[in-house]
Amino acid sequence: MAKDITIYTTNTCAYCVMVKKWLKAKDLTYNEVNLDEHPERQKEAFEASGQLAVPVTVVTKKDNSKEVIVGYNLAKLAPAVA
Amino acid sequence: MSETKKSIDAHSHRIWDVIMVGAGPAALSAAVYTSREDISTLLFEKGAIGGLAAVTDWIDNYPGFPKGVAGLELAENLRLQAERFGAYIELGDVISLKRVGKYIELDTTSGPFKARAVLLATGSDWKKIGVPGEKEYFGRGVHYCATCDGAFYRDKRLAVIGGGNSAVQEAIFLTRYASHIDLLVRGDSFRASEVLQHELKKHTDKITVHLNTTTDEIIAVDNKVDHVLGTRKTTGKKVEFPVDGVFVFVGLEPNTQFLKGSGVKLDDIKLVKTNDHLMTSVKGIFAAGDVRSGATMQIASATGEGATAALEIREYLDDLKK
Repeated sequence: MAKDITIYTTNTCAYCVMVKKWLKAKDLTYNEVNLDEHPERQKEAFEASGQLAVPVTVVTKKDNSKEVIVGYNLAKLAPAVA
Repeated sequence: MSETKKSIDAHSHRIWDVIMVGAGPAALSAAVYTSREDISTLLFEKGAIGGLAAVTDWIDNYPGFPKGVAGLELAENLRLQAERFGAYIELGDVISLKRVGKYIELDTTSGPFKARAVLLATGSDWKKIGVPGEKEYFGRGVHYCATCDGAFYRDKRLAVIGGGNSAVQEAIFLTRYASHIDLLVRGDSFRASEVLQHELKKHTDKITVHLNTTTDEIIAVDNKVDHVLGTRKTTGKKVEFPVDGVFVFVGLEPNTQFLKGSGVKLDDIKLVKTNDHLMTSVKGIFAAGDVRSGATMQIASATGEGATAALEIREYLDDLKK
């Protein structure tokens, strides 16, 4: 079970919308970091994912371990938040 | 109706009248027609609802929007309209499908499903160029979605590869971030529309066009994309473009891999063959939009084909009842 979910997004990213929609459908809450509004946090997204891409979803689990999912990837998102 | 309710409802029908694979403009338009006529309609979408239209920055040639419309906004409106009439969208992937007796059985990431008819509307994805460095630096300097990843290139240099509408449109979009863009076009002219080419000329301060220029390799230094190597076709000379990132828009590749073993016939470039009624080689399985052989790869024609497919499906379902 996820303790915390943070998503890095941009205003124009359709896949970011899909990740948020999917999490909402699962009744999961998340924090959103919009990189268009907070460009100073791009480095943080890159350091988490190793990629220059959004959406980046960082799932912090109860044991504080983290799982990072790049893109709208249900095969990885579903087990990460289970 | 909550998203959770929709997800549960997706499983509540033992047999759906129609299952649509994909939720881009073709399927969403078809779903407006079918669900409005009480034909139970389920759509599967593994990517973005709205398909490639949703990840396109701006759409200028879709009728009804005199000033153009953001791709994401058009996609959202299509979704709302389809759901208004009772279509369900399941966020999941169809792994395979086949006709078994009277029904079409689908193996999906959400479990097995059955339908009387199926609409294939899986559209296309961006084609890769297949040069060294492209695969290695995917997501770390090589990208296929400007609206997703452009924000990482504030005040950086980019190369955009391609000469069609998407390449030009997305290069213009990227000027809001990049300090400079080299637009590498393999041919001796653009395939993009005159309107877009005219728009491009307004951005000569940031975009430099290189016609007759191939992209041969994407080179990284210290694990970061550093430059693109190409060849000027007119002279045969090697050319080098210093860049921080590369965006590729060189055409489309149909999403038909999951049809292996289904009996649905494809053409030479793996697009789905249909008859005059948009039915494929398998009875009860229809196709519309970019995935269909002969499609014109336009959002407006995809929505039109979606509507046509819906009417054909209605007729097919009516015939089944006789």
